[in-house]
Amino acid sequence: MNKRTLLAIALLASPLAAADGQWALGQSTLTYHVSHPLHESEGVSHAARGKGVCQAGQCDFLIAAPVKSFDSGDSNRDLHMLQVTRGAEFPLISVRTRVPDIAVGAATVHADLEIQFVGQTVVYKQVEFQETVQGNTIKLTGTIPAKVADFKIVPPSLLAMPIKNEMPVRVDMTWQKQ
Amino acid sequence: MTCVCLCAVSFPSLAQTADSPAQTPATAPAGNSQAPSLGDLGFPTAQTKGSLLDQARLDRRSHMLKIHQKLGLITLAPLIATLIASNGATPGHTNASGVTTGGGSTSSRDLHAGLGIATAGLYLTTASFAIFAPKISGTKTRGPILVHKILACIHGPGMILTPILGAMAYNQINSGQKVHGIASAHGAVAAITAISYGAAMLSVSIKF
Repeated sequence: MNKRTLLAIALLASPLAAADGQWALGQSTLTYHVSHPLHESEGVSHAARGKGVCQAGQCDFLIAAPVKSFDSGDSNRDLHMLQVTRGAEFPLISVRTRVPDIAVGAATVHADLEIQFVGQTVVYKQVEFQETVQGNTIKLTGTIPAKVADFKIVPPSLLAMPIKNEMPVRVDMTWQKQ
Repeated sequence: MTCVCLCAVSFPSLAQTADSPAQTPATAPAGNSQAPSLGDLGFPTAQTKGSLLDQARLDRRSHMLKIHQKLGLITLAPLIATLIASNGATPGHTNASGVTTGGGSTSSRDLHAGLGIATAGLYLTTASFAIFAPKISGTKTRGPILVHKILACIHGPGMILTPILGAMAYNQINSGQKVHGIASAHGAVAAITAISYGAAMLSVSIKF
């Protein structure tokens, strides 16, 4: 291997090396939305924690939040939510994703999300997120098109009317490069 | 009575905890050793360990409250019927010459009394499922359920007082007396009870 080849490898490798590193989740807001014929409700959690590791052109992210950290403003509803999602048995909801490092910082990223919740693992393909880069931080927003049936949750009902199957989760997170 | 619901002593907390064996693995996905694991996120162990006993407590609570909800709806039927039947249970008017005119018949009063007793019985059964549902420690009551519980403090005593006052009024009418004393409050107490009961149902059904 001559000097010219080594120089070329070093030049090609340097951007990847620069992209390697870790990300930590700063502020976050996760909001689930459920619909019932009589009313709509939302539960919000600010208790998510997350970490991202970028290496060799790939970034692996893990985000998790305690199920009981979601607050809908109604303690009774929150306890029912905790029961139907088996939140005492499976206290965390976790999301894993792997994206190419070039996607980190792009305006839009499509990610395959592996969600563990209620003892089930469900993959949502190509979920779109918007990214806004501000210095060493990235603000990420998007909506996960979760459905009650995907996680085999028995839909809670009120006055014999169950909630709708759609349970979108709005994501608003700020990641900090370490 | 239903104030007990608000102030009910929580069931003794379960000392031992059965850990769930099926909690999310804290390891990185297979074949990807660089990926972060749940252990990297620094959650306290208490937040990551599942408890089958706690889940069973939640399941039991929800089960009992579902029965509470169903029985509450069922109780509405005899309650409405009792209110309708009350039209035939009114005492007659005695004029100056001592002749009683108008008022309901004895059979109508019996029907009203029977429906009232059925309502009170169903109501107490309904309330007991809420009162004895396991309490979840560390939960602060917030939202519409707080209104529901406050209203229960009105219709709870009302549902006990109404049949007592009704029985007093019934006896007074049957013995040829004019309804007097505290028994004369039977109608007003019943009305307040019925309104607060309906409002309590609406408070958890419709988002205001």
